Amino acid sequence: MRIVYKVLAYAVAVEVAVQAAAIVLAIAGLGKWVSAGNVFDKAVMESDDLAFPEVVGLIVHGINGGLVIPVVALLLLIVSFFARIPGGVKFAAFVLLLVAVQAMLGYSGHDLPWVGGLHGLNAMALFAVALHAARRARPVAAEAPASAAV
Amino acid sequence: MILTRRVRLVAACATTLAVVVPLGWLWQASRLPRAYSVMDMGYADGGRQAGGPHHHQDSAARDITTLVADPARRPDVEVTLTAREQRVRLASGREIDGYTFNGHSPGPQITAVVGQLVQVRLVNASVPGGVTLHWHGVDVPGGEDGVAGVTQDAVRIGRDFVYRFVVRRAGTFWYHSHQLSHEQVAGGLFGALVVRPARPQAPLDVVALAHLYHGIRTVNGSESDVTVPAPPGATARVRVVNTDNGPTPVWVTGAAWRLVAVDGTDLLGPTAIERAAVLVTAGGRADLEVTMPSGGGSVRVQIGGPLSVVLGRPSDVPASARPAATLDLLTYGTPAPLGFDPAHPDRAFRYEMGRRPGFLDGVPGLYWTVNGHMYPDVPMFTVADGDVVRMTIVNDSGEVHPMHLHGHRAVVLARDGVPATGSPWWVDSLNVEDGESYDIAFLADNPGIWVDHCHNLPHAREGLLVHLMYENVTTPFLIGGPAGNSRE
Repeated sequence: MRIVYKVLAYAVAVEVAVQAAAIVLAIAGLGKWVSAGNVFDKAVMESDDLAFPEVVGLIVHGINGGLVIPVVALLLLIVSFFARIPGGVKFAAFVLLLVAVQAMLGYSGHDLPWVGGLHGLNAMALFAVALHAARRARPVAAEAPASAAV
Repeated sequence: MILTRRVRLVAACATTLAVVVPLGWLWQASRLPRAYSVMDMGYADGGRQAGGPHHHQDSAARDITTLVADPARRPDVEVTLTAREQRVRLASGREIDGYTFNGHSPGPQITAVVGQLVQVRLVNASVPGGVTLHWHGVDVPGGEDGVAGVTQDAVRIGRDFVYRFVVRRAGTFWYHSHQLSHEQVAGGLFGALVVRPARPQAPLDVVALAHLYHGIRTVNGSESDVTVPAPPGATARVRVVNTDNGPTPVWVTGAAWRLVAVDGTDLLGPTAIERAAVLVTAGGRADLEVTMPSGGGSVRVQIGGPLSVVLGRPSDVPASARPAATLDLLTYGTPAPLGFDPAHPDRAFRYEMGRRPGFLDGVPGLYWTVNGHMYPDVPMFTVADGDVVRMTIVNDSGEVHPMHLHGHRAVVLARDGVPATGSPWWVDSLNVEDGESYDIAFLADNPGIWVDHCHNLPHAREGLLVHLMYENVTTPFLIGGPAGNSRE
């Protein structure tokens, strides 16, 4: 369970990094596309199609942020109940809370761009807390045997 | 020690269940039946107003399939539209995957004169999901509205369906599939429907269907400007139709122009527009009247920016930046009586849009809500024939929504509490920005079961869709079921 906790916590941190990479990929792709003479407007924004290839960054960002990371964070919390890591539950709950805040800030940023700025800062907090949680799961002197009950 | 460990394990399991069970319950509760009637969907909202005269339909229930045009009358305009899934060749020669009517996208333009009976036979040659035809903006009889699962079953491959309706109002309309519309409209299943008045309005009449095919911007299927020869001094009517999912601005350079109609209704006393754009919402139409300069010269009508309709020679009139101002229809034109009194409505409804996380048919996500409820637990606005209806549309969802009511046109009374003082502003597709509220009113004079939804079509799919139901009108059709009618 300790190892599962550790993997899930690291997964959250890695996913945050993927999110940062994906969104910058999309914005850079958009810049290049507009520079080539194309026009980005609401019709393009609401279209389901890929106007430029880097739109894939937006799709990844949306699926990761809207579904994958919340699920991983939820699993981390559940695992924390069994993993018996000092402060494990607390930090897993903290990760989940930051994920929820992150999603809220992300969607609110559609209408309030400054909230999007907070979304970027909160990502750093989430990254740090997830890393910290993972490092807490390091084996200590007397590691408890893994529970077979789950 | 062992006891402590067991207690811990039990506590961990209990906490896990406390987290998982509510989520599982929400997931399970959100799953939609394989087939269901919109009549059983959500909760009834009668919106009754005290003191108002109530119209009651004590007559027997009417099946929606009986709400049709006079079957004995012979059609004045007859068209067959054959829908196919195929490679679409754009005017530029570029080919994309999509859908066509009679081999083309956009489909053929249907033109009728006001008062005529239009009869369209829809044939599905090869569209796997089935198709229908919705007559966007035309107040057709209830049985001809073309909404799969509400007014008919989706037309499967090899089958057909005949639509018949009298066009009572001259104006610019369009038709499109209302089965899997988020995919089929984007893929090309749409076309223009123009109803001309008995006496012609302008010698030059141009339709401009703006559409994005797989990220390729087009007007009338063309990736380049649409050029129309126009003699000096001539008056042209340019009918802009926004078939996409977001609002698009339209502006004119090179001549004096006026906005003469919105959503198929003429505006009264429209004045010349200088340095302003007109915002055409998704599904909406704007008719621009342009007078060509008497000394020669060309006129450019820019749609969204990159593409234009050019009257005259394109080289004569370069593209310009979007004007900073956007025309406010709340104050444009001259007021006139509406023909009914919205101050004393029989029904008043609230259509408040929000957004929250949850499950829709078992899929987690951030979904639209109507009055705090998520699809399918949304209000069923119930009216009786003859009711004066007021509706307050409030958008607190974080994004713009082009709200489209089927079967009726509604008049805008106020925005954010500020009353309309211009020409009666009739709409079927209303751009409601985040944070805005609109008061609209309409006369419930067209019995049926009508969808009232966001015309950003993926949003409708995501549950931003309710129904306006007339008392005693029933539908035998089901969402889902053997016909595979999509819930949009």
